Amino acid sequence: MIKTLFYKEFQNYFRNLSSIFLPLIFFFLIISIFPLLIGPDKVLLNKIVPGIVWITIIFTTLLSSNNFFKDDYNNGYLETFLTSDSSVEFILFLKIISCWLFTCFPIIIFIPLVSIFFNISMKDSFIIISTLVIGSPVLISIGIFGSALTLGLAKNSILVPIIILPFFIPILIFSASAIESVSSGTPYEMQIYILLALLVFVLPTMPYLLKYTLSLSINN
Amino acid sequence: MYMENALENFEISISSATCLKSNNTIFSDINYTLKSGELLLVMGPNGCGKTTFIKSICGIQKLEEGAIKLNNVDISHGDSQHLGNFLYIGHKNSLNDSLTVFENLEYLCALDRSIQNNIKSEITRNLSFFGIENYKNYLVSKLSEGNKKKTSLTRLLLTNKKVWLLDEPLSYLDENGANKVLKLLNNHLIGGGIIIASSHIDFSVDIGNSKVFYMDNSL
Repeated sequence: MIKTLFYKEFQNYFRNLSSIFLPLIFFFLIISIFPLLIGPDKVLLNKIVPGIVWITIIFTTLLSSNNFFKDDYNNGYLETFLTSDSSVEFILFLKIISCWLFTCFPIIIFIPLVSIFFNISMKDSFIIISTLVIGSPVLISIGIFGSALTLGLAKNSILVPIIILPFFIPILIFSASAIESVSSGTPYEMQIYILLALLVFVLPTMPYLLKYTLSLSINN
Repeated sequence: MYMENALENFEISISSATCLKSNNTIFSDINYTLKSGELLLVMGPNGCGKTTFIKSICGIQKLEEGAIKLNNVDISHGDSQHLGNFLYIGHKNSLNDSLTVFENLEYLCALDRSIQNNIKSEITRNLSFFGIENYKNYLVSKLSEGNKKKTSLTRLLLTNKKVWLLDEPLSYLDENGANKVLKLLNNHLIGGGIIIASSHIDFSVDIGNSKVFYMDNSL
Protein backbone atom coordinates (compact mmCIF):
# COMPACT_ATOMS: atom_id res chain seq x y z
CA MET A 1 0.00 0.00 0.00
CA ILE A 2 2.77 2.41 0.98
CA LYS A 3 4.65 1.62 -2.20
CA THR A 4 1.60 2.19 -4.37
CA LEU A 5 0.75 5.52 -2.76
CA PHE A 6 4.31 6.78 -3.00
CA TYR A 7 4.41 5.66 -6.61
CA LYS A 8 1.23 7.62 -7.30
CA GLU A 9 2.85 10.84 -6.13
CA PHE A 10 5.89 10.10 -8.28
CA GLN A 11 3.82 9.43 -11.36
CA ASN A 12 1.78 12.52 -10.73
CA TYR A 13 4.92 14.69 -10.71
CA PHE A 14 6.45 12.94 -13.71
CA ARG A 15 3.30 13.40 -15.78
CA ASN A 16 3.50 17.12 -14.98
CA LEU A 17 7.17 17.67 -15.71
CA SER A 18 6.72 21.44 -15.61
CA SER A 19 6.19 21.25 -11.86
CA ILE A 20 9.71 19.82 -11.53
CA PHE A 21 11.41 22.04 -14.08
CA LEU A 22 9.76 25.32 -13.22
CA PRO A 23 11.64 25.73 -9.91
CA LEU A 24 14.92 24.76 -11.59
CA ILE A 25 14.46 27.19 -14.49
CA PHE A 26 13.46 29.86 -12.00
CA PHE A 27 16.57 29.15 -9.96
CA PHE A 28 18.97 29.36 -12.91
CA LEU A 29 17.27 32.48 -14.19
CA ILE A 30 17.78 34.32 -10.93
CA ILE A 31 21.32 32.97 -10.47
CA SER A 32 22.34 34.14 -13.95
CA ILE A 33 20.56 37.49 -13.83
CA PHE A 34 22.17 38.70 -10.58
CA PRO A 35 25.76 38.85 -11.94
CA LEU A 36 24.49 40.65 -15.03
CA LEU A 37 22.84 43.35 -12.97
CA ILE A 38 25.44 43.73 -10.22
CA GLY A 39 28.52 43.38 -12.37
CA PRO A 40 31.47 41.01 -12.08
CA ASP A 41 32.39 41.90 -8.49
CA LYS A 42 33.77 38.60 -7.21
CA VAL A 43 33.69 39.43 -3.50
CA LEU A 44 30.21 40.90 -3.54
CA LEU A 45 28.73 38.01 -5.58
CA ASN A 46 30.43 35.48 -3.35
CA LYS A 47 28.75 37.12 -0.39
CA ILE A 48 25.22 37.35 -1.79
CA VAL A 49 24.91 33.96 -3.49
CA PRO A 50 23.71 32.11 -0.34
CA GLY A 51 21.00 34.77 0.00
CA ILE A 52 19.96 34.37 -3.65
CA VAL A 53 19.73 30.61 -3.25
CA TRP A 54 17.51 30.98 -0.21
CA ILE A 55 15.27 33.51 -1.94
CA THR A 56 14.79 31.06 -4.81
CA ILE A 57 13.91 28.29 -2.38
CA ILE A 58 11.33 30.53 -0.69
CA PHE A 59 9.70 31.46 -4.01
CA THR A 60 9.71 27.84 -5.10
CA THR A 61 8.05 26.86 -1.87
CA LEU A 62 5.40 29.55 -2.28
CA LEU A 63 4.79 28.55 -5.90
CA SER A 64 4.47 24.85 -5.30
CA SER A 65 2.54 24.97 -2.03
CA ASN A 66 0.08 27.69 -2.98
CA ASN A 67 -2.38 25.36 -4.70
CA PHE A 68 -1.04 22.17 -3.23
CA PHE A 69 -4.42 20.62 -2.38
CA LYS A 70 -6.42 22.37 -5.10
CA ASP A 71 -6.50 19.46 -7.58
CA ASP A 72 -7.23 16.87 -4.93
CA TYR A 73 -9.95 19.11 -3.55
CA ASN A 74 -11.57 19.75 -6.93
CA ASN A 75 -11.61 16.14 -8.09
CA GLY A 76 -12.77 14.81 -4.74
CA TYR A 77 -9.69 12.77 -3.89
CA LEU A 78 -9.28 14.73 -0.67
CA GLU A 79 -12.66 13.58 0.61
CA THR A 80 -11.89 10.04 -0.47
CA PHE A 81 -8.69 9.75 1.45
CA LEU A 82 -9.98 11.63 4.49
CA THR A 83 -12.83 9.10 4.75
CA SER A 84 -10.66 6.10 3.98
CA ASP A 85 -9.59 3.66 6.65
CA SER A 86 -5.90 3.92 5.83
CA SER A 87 -3.63 6.27 7.72
CA VAL A 88 -4.42 9.79 6.53
CA GLU A 89 -1.44 11.20 8.41
CA PHE A 90 0.87 8.87 6.56
CA ILE A 91 -0.52 9.85 3.16
CA LEU A 92 -0.04 13.51 4.04
CA PHE A 93 3.51 12.79 5.16
CA LEU A 94 4.18 11.14 1.79
CA LYS A 95 2.77 14.19 0.05
CA ILE A 96 5.06 16.55 1.96
CA ILE A 97 8.12 14.39 1.28
CA SER A 98 7.39 14.03 -2.43
CA CYS A 99 6.68 17.74 -2.79
CA TRP A 100 10.10 18.47 -1.28
CA LEU A 101 11.75 15.79 -3.40
CA PHE A 102 10.45 17.25 -6.66
CA THR A 103 10.70 20.98 -5.99
CA CYS A 104 13.50 21.76 -3.53
CA PHE A 105 15.76 18.76 -3.96
CA PRO A 106 16.56 19.39 -7.65
CA ILE A 107 17.74 22.88 -6.71
CA ILE A 108 19.91 21.53 -3.90
CA ILE A 109 21.57 19.09 -6.32
CA PHE A 110 22.77 22.00 -8.45
CA ILE A 111 24.30 24.00 -5.57
CA PRO A 112 27.81 22.48 -6.01
CA LEU A 113 27.73 23.52 -9.67
CA VAL A 114 26.63 27.04 -8.76
CA SER A 115 29.37 27.14 -6.11
CA ILE A 116 31.96 26.55 -8.83
CA PHE A 117 30.47 29.34 -10.98
CA PHE A 118 30.70 31.81 -8.13
CA ASN A 119 33.98 30.63 -6.69
CA ILE A 120 32.48 29.64 -3.35
CA SER A 121 34.76 27.52 -1.16
CA MET A 122 33.94 23.86 -0.46
CA LYS A 123 33.24 24.58 3.19
CA ASP A 124 30.81 27.43 2.45
CA SER A 125 29.13 25.34 -0.22
CA PHE A 126 28.74 22.46 2.22
CA ILE A 127 27.10 24.67 4.84
CA ILE A 128 24.71 26.18 2.26
CA ILE A 129 23.66 22.68 1.25
CA SER A 130 23.28 21.58 4.88
CA THR A 131 21.06 24.51 5.83
CA LEU A 132 18.97 23.95 2.71
CA VAL A 133 18.57 20.22 3.30
CA ILE A 134 17.49 20.86 6.88
CA GLY A 135 15.52 24.06 6.32
CA SER A 136 13.63 23.52 3.08
CA PRO A 137 11.46 20.58 4.28
CA VAL A 138 10.31 22.85 7.10
CA LEU A 139 9.47 25.61 4.63
CA ILE A 140 7.57 23.17 2.40
CA SER A 141 5.62 21.83 5.40
CA ILE A 142 4.65 25.33 6.49
CA GLY A 143 3.70 26.26 2.94
CA ILE A 144 1.50 23.21 2.58
CA PHE A 145 -0.09 24.03 5.91
CA GLY A 146 -0.92 27.49 4.59
CA SER A 147 -2.58 26.03 1.52
CA ALA A 148 -4.61 23.60 3.66
CA LEU A 149 -5.71 26.46 5.87
CA THR A 150 -7.05 28.54 2.97
CA LEU A 151 -8.47 25.65 0.95
CA GLY A 152 -12.11 26.42 1.60
CA LEU A 153 -11.76 30.04 0.53
CA ALA A 154 -12.54 31.14 -2.99
CA LYS A 155 -9.67 33.58 -3.48
CA ASN A 156 -6.78 32.35 -1.43
CA SER A 157 -3.71 33.01 -3.57
CA ILE A 158 -2.75 36.26 -1.84
CA LEU A 159 -3.58 35.01 1.61
CA VAL A 160 -1.14 32.09 1.70
CA PRO A 161 2.11 34.10 1.45
CA ILE A 162 0.85 36.60 4.01
CA ILE A 163 0.02 33.84 6.47
CA ILE A 164 3.12 31.72 6.05
CA LEU A 165 5.98 34.16 5.43
CA PRO A 166 6.32 35.17 9.10
CA PHE A 167 6.82 31.50 9.99
CA PHE A 168 9.71 31.30 7.53
CA ILE A 169 11.70 33.93 9.38
CA PRO A 170 13.22 31.79 12.19
CA ILE A 171 14.56 29.32 9.64
CA LEU A 172 15.97 32.11 7.50
CA ILE A 173 17.62 33.82 10.48
CA PHE A 174 19.37 30.67 11.68
CA SER A 175 20.40 29.60 8.18
CA ALA A 176 21.84 33.00 7.35
CA SER A 177 23.57 33.06 10.71
CA ALA A 178 25.11 29.62 10.14
CA ILE A 179 26.39 30.59 6.69
CA GLU A 180 27.75 33.87 8.06
CA SER A 181 29.52 32.07 10.93
CA VAL A 182 31.24 29.67 8.58
CA SER A 183 32.58 32.39 6.32
CA SER A 184 33.82 34.39 9.32
CA GLY A 185 35.32 31.31 10.95
CA THR A 186 33.21 31.28 14.14
CA PRO A 187 31.33 28.18 15.42
CA TYR A 188 28.19 27.39 13.47
CA GLU A 189 27.01 24.18 15.16
CA MET A 190 24.44 25.92 17.38
CA GLN A 191 22.46 27.29 14.41
CA ILE A 192 22.49 23.92 12.68
CA TYR A 193 21.21 22.24 15.84
CA ILE A 194 18.36 24.71 16.12
CA LEU A 195 17.44 24.12 12.48
CA LEU A 196 17.55 20.38 13.09
CA ALA A 197 15.32 20.82 16.14
CA LEU A 198 12.80 22.72 14.01
CA LEU A 199 12.88 19.98 11.38
CA VAL A 200 12.44 17.21 13.94
CA PHE A 201 9.54 19.10 15.49
CA VAL A 202 7.73 20.24 12.34
CA LEU A 203 7.97 17.19 10.07
CA PRO A 204 6.27 14.61 12.35
CA THR A 205 3.65 16.99 13.76
CA MET A 206 2.65 18.56 10.45
CA PRO A 207 0.63 15.57 9.08
CA TYR A 208 -1.59 15.59 12.19
CA LEU A 209 -2.05 19.34 11.94
CA LEU A 210 -2.81 19.02 8.22
CA LYS A 211 -5.40 16.31 8.77
CA TYR A 212 -7.24 18.49 11.27
CA THR A 213 -7.01 21.59 9.07
CA LEU A 214 -8.17 19.75 5.96
CA SER A 215 -11.17 18.23 7.69
CA LEU A 216 -12.12 21.73 8.83
CA SER A 217 -11.58 23.15 5.33
CA ILE A 218 -13.79 20.62 3.56
CA ASN A 219 -16.44 20.94 6.26
CA ASN A 220 -17.82 24.22 4.97
CA MET B 1 -12.21 -4.45 12.32
CA TYR B 2 -14.51 -5.29 9.43
CA MET B 3 -17.99 -6.43 10.22
CA GLU B 4 -18.06 -9.51 8.02
CA ASN B 5 -18.82 -11.81 10.93
CA ALA B 6 -21.51 -9.65 12.45
CA LEU B 7 -23.95 -9.35 9.60
CA GLU B 8 -27.10 -10.15 11.59
CA ASN B 9 -26.60 -7.28 14.00
CA PHE B 10 -25.44 -4.87 11.38
CA GLU B 11 -27.39 -1.67 11.74
CA ILE B 12 -27.01 2.04 11.16
CA SER B 13 -29.19 4.42 13.08
CA ILE B 14 -29.46 8.11 12.41
CA SER B 15 -31.09 9.89 15.31
CA SER B 16 -32.27 13.51 15.38
CA ALA B 17 -29.53 14.54 12.95
CA THR B 18 -29.42 18.28 12.43
CA CYS B 19 -26.99 20.19 10.28
CA LEU B 20 -26.36 23.92 10.06
CA LYS B 21 -24.30 25.74 7.47
CA SER B 22 -23.61 29.41 8.19
CA ASN B 23 -26.78 29.59 10.30
CA ASN B 24 -29.00 28.03 7.64
CA THR B 25 -30.60 24.77 8.62
CA ILE B 26 -29.71 22.25 5.92
CA PHE B 27 -31.69 19.45 7.53
CA SER B 28 -33.07 18.90 10.96
CA ASP B 29 -34.26 16.05 13.14
CA ILE B 30 -33.74 13.16 10.72
CA ASN B 31 -34.38 9.73 12.19
CA TYR B 32 -33.75 6.53 10.29
CA THR B 33 -32.67 3.04 11.13
CA LEU B 34 -31.21 0.83 8.45
CA LYS B 35 -30.56 -2.87 8.83
CA SER B 36 -28.48 -5.19 6.68
CA GLY B 37 -29.90 -5.45 3.20
CA GLU B 38 -31.66 -2.09 3.15
CA LEU B 39 -31.28 0.93 0.94
CA LEU B 40 -32.01 4.50 1.91
CA LEU B 41 -32.65 6.62 -1.15
CA VAL B 42 -32.30 10.33 -0.44
CA MET B 43 -34.33 12.35 -2.91
CA GLY B 44 -35.12 15.97 -3.43
CA PRO B 45 -34.62 18.97 -5.67
CA ASN B 46 -31.22 20.47 -6.42
CA GLY B 47 -29.60 22.20 -3.48
CA CYS B 48 -31.80 20.61 -0.85
CA GLY B 49 -28.85 19.10 1.02
CA LYS B 50 -28.63 15.54 -0.30
CA THR B 51 -24.85 15.69 -0.60
CA THR B 52 -24.49 17.29 2.82
CA PHE B 53 -26.59 14.52 4.33
CA ILE B 54 -24.45 11.79 2.75
CA LYS B 55 -21.27 13.56 3.83
CA SER B 56 -22.51 13.90 7.39
CA ILE B 57 -22.86 10.12 7.64
CA CYS B 58 -19.21 9.46 6.87
CA GLY B 59 -18.05 12.30 9.08
CA ILE B 60 -16.90 14.83 6.48
CA GLN B 61 -19.71 17.16 7.46
CA LYS B 62 -20.07 17.75 11.18
CA LEU B 63 -23.53 17.49 12.67
CA GLU B 64 -24.88 20.25 14.87
CA GLU B 65 -27.00 17.81 16.84
CA GLY B 66 -27.84 14.14 16.83
CA ALA B 67 -25.86 10.99 16.31
CA ILE B 68 -25.03 8.46 13.63
CA LYS B 69 -24.61 5.04 15.16
CA LEU B 70 -23.14 1.93 13.61
CA ASN B 71 -24.09 -1.06 15.76
CA ASN B 72 -24.75 1.34 18.65
CA VAL B 73 -21.34 2.99 18.46
CA ASP B 74 -21.50 6.71 17.80
CA ILE B 75 -19.44 7.46 14.69
CA SER B 76 -20.56 11.02 13.98
CA HIS B 77 -17.27 12.46 15.23
CA GLY B 78 -15.54 10.82 12.34
CA ASP B 79 -12.58 9.37 14.21
CA SER B 80 -13.83 5.92 15.07
CA GLN B 81 -12.31 2.90 13.40
CA HIS B 82 -15.85 1.88 12.45
CA LEU B 83 -15.59 4.39 9.62
CA GLY B 84 -13.51 1.67 7.98
CA ASN B 85 -16.78 -0.02 7.03
CA PHE B 86 -17.88 2.90 4.87
CA LEU B 87 -17.18 3.39 1.22
CA TYR B 88 -17.95 6.94 0.19
CA ILE B 89 -18.14 7.75 -3.51
CA GLY B 90 -19.03 11.38 -4.01
CA HIS B 91 -20.38 13.08 -7.10
CA LYS B 92 -16.82 14.14 -7.77
CA ASN B 93 -14.97 11.16 -9.16
CA SER B 94 -11.72 11.33 -7.11
CA LEU B 95 -9.88 10.63 -10.33
CA ASN B 96 -6.55 12.24 -11.09
CA ASP B 97 -6.53 13.66 -14.62
CA SER B 98 -2.87 12.95 -15.23
CA LEU B 99 -3.11 9.24 -14.42
CA THR B 100 -4.69 6.46 -16.45
CA VAL B 101 -7.92 4.63 -15.58
CA PHE B 102 -6.01 1.62 -14.32
CA GLU B 103 -3.57 3.66 -12.24
CA ASN B 104 -6.35 5.68 -10.69
CA LEU B 105 -8.21 2.56 -9.62
CA GLU B 106 -5.02 0.98 -8.33
CA TYR B 107 -4.34 3.97 -6.12
CA LEU B 108 -7.90 4.37 -4.92
CA CYS B 109 -7.84 0.70 -3.96
CA ALA B 110 -4.56 1.22 -2.09
CA LEU B 111 -6.55 3.45 0.27
CA ASP B 112 -9.15 0.76 0.87
CA ARG B 113 -7.91 -1.70 3.44
CA SER B 114 -10.79 -4.11 2.91
CA ILE B 115 -9.21 -5.04 -0.42
CA GLN B 116 -6.64 -7.80 -0.45
CA ASN B 117 -3.23 -7.26 -1.95
CA ASN B 118 -3.46 -8.88 -5.38
CA ILE B 119 -5.49 -6.09 -6.91
CA LYS B 120 -4.07 -5.66 -10.41
CA SER B 121 -5.73 -8.70 -11.99
CA GLU B 122 -8.96 -7.89 -10.15
CA ILE B 123 -9.08 -4.39 -11.63
CA THR B 124 -8.48 -5.68 -15.16
CA ARG B 125 -11.21 -8.30 -14.71
CA ASN B 126 -13.75 -5.87 -13.27
CA LEU B 127 -13.27 -3.08 -15.80
CA SER B 128 -15.21 -5.19 -18.30
CA PHE B 129 -18.31 -5.09 -16.09
CA PHE B 130 -19.05 -1.55 -17.26
CA GLY B 131 -17.50 -2.22 -20.65
CA ILE B 132 -14.61 0.21 -20.16
CA GLU B 133 -11.79 -2.35 -20.48
CA ASN B 134 -10.61 -0.67 -23.67
CA TYR B 135 -10.02 2.57 -21.79
CA LYS B 136 -7.74 0.88 -19.27
CA ASN B 137 -4.63 2.78 -20.34
CA TYR B 138 -6.32 6.05 -21.27
CA LEU B 139 -5.58 9.17 -19.28
CA VAL B 140 -8.65 10.13 -17.28
CA SER B 141 -8.57 13.64 -18.78
CA LYS B 142 -9.38 12.06 -22.16
CA LEU B 143 -12.50 10.25 -20.94
CA SER B 144 -16.10 11.37 -21.21
CA GLU B 145 -17.99 12.17 -18.01
CA GLY B 146 -19.95 8.94 -18.24
CA ASN B 147 -16.82 6.83 -18.51
CA LYS B 148 -15.25 8.72 -15.60
CA LYS B 149 -18.31 7.86 -13.54
CA LYS B 150 -18.05 4.22 -14.60
CA THR B 151 -14.37 4.17 -13.63
CA SER B 152 -15.18 5.58 -10.24
CA LEU B 153 -18.05 3.13 -9.71
CA THR B 154 -15.81 0.19 -10.58
CA ARG B 155 -14.59 0.60 -7.00
CA LEU B 156 -17.92 -0.87 -5.91
CA LEU B 157 -16.94 -4.15 -7.54
CA LEU B 158 -13.54 -4.21 -5.89
CA THR B 159 -14.32 -3.24 -2.32
CA ASN B 160 -15.41 -5.53 0.49
CA LYS B 161 -16.87 -2.73 2.59
CA LYS B 162 -20.36 -3.18 3.93
CA VAL B 163 -21.82 0.31 3.88
CA TRP B 164 -21.89 2.22 0.62
CA LEU B 165 -22.51 5.94 0.61
CA LEU B 166 -23.16 6.99 -2.96
CA ASP B 167 -23.77 10.55 -4.04
CA GLU B 168 -25.65 10.66 -7.35
CA PRO B 169 -24.48 7.23 -8.56
CA LEU B 170 -26.54 7.41 -11.74
CA SER B 171 -25.57 10.83 -13.01
CA TYR B 172 -23.97 10.95 -16.50
CA LEU B 173 -24.66 7.23 -17.03
CA ASP B 174 -26.44 5.84 -20.08
CA GLU B 175 -29.38 3.49 -19.59
CA ASN B 176 -27.26 0.39 -19.88
CA GLY B 177 -24.73 1.70 -17.37
CA ALA B 178 -27.46 2.75 -14.95
CA ASN B 179 -29.02 -0.71 -15.11
CA LYS B 180 -25.67 -2.26 -14.30
CA VAL B 181 -25.27 0.02 -11.29
CA LEU B 182 -28.75 -0.97 -10.08
CA LYS B 183 -27.79 -4.62 -10.48
CA LEU B 184 -24.67 -3.98 -8.38
CA LEU B 185 -26.70 -2.25 -5.69
CA ASN B 186 -29.16 -5.13 -5.59
CA ASN B 187 -26.37 -7.67 -5.27
CA HIS B 188 -24.83 -5.71 -2.44
CA LEU B 189 -28.13 -5.61 -0.57
CA ILE B 190 -28.62 -9.35 -1.07
CA GLY B 191 -25.14 -9.85 0.34
CA GLY B 192 -26.22 -8.10 3.52
CA GLY B 193 -24.83 -4.65 2.84
CA ILE B 194 -26.34 -1.26 3.49
CA ILE B 195 -26.57 1.51 0.90
CA ILE B 196 -27.35 5.15 1.38
CA ALA B 197 -27.64 6.84 -1.99
CA SER B 198 -28.77 10.23 -3.16
CA SER B 199 -30.47 10.78 -6.46
CA HIS B 200 -33.03 12.98 -8.12
CA ILE B 201 -34.32 9.93 -10.02
CA ASP B 202 -36.46 7.53 -8.05
CA PHE B 203 -34.88 4.13 -8.67
CA SER B 204 -36.29 2.57 -5.52
CA VAL B 205 -38.83 0.60 -7.61
CA ASP B 206 -35.96 -1.35 -9.14
CA ILE B 207 -34.54 -2.29 -5.79
CA GLY B 208 -36.11 -4.47 -3.15
CA ASN B 209 -36.08 -3.40 0.47
CA SER B 210 -35.64 0.30 0.00
CA LYS B 211 -36.74 3.35 1.96
CA VAL B 212 -37.17 6.68 0.27
CA PHE B 213 -36.46 9.87 2.12
CA TYR B 214 -37.64 13.10 0.51
CA MET B 215 -35.65 16.09 1.59
CA ASP B 216 -37.50 19.34 1.45
CA ASN B 217 -35.46 22.31 2.40
CA SER B 218 -37.35 25.57 2.46
CA LEU B 219 -34.60 28.15 2.61
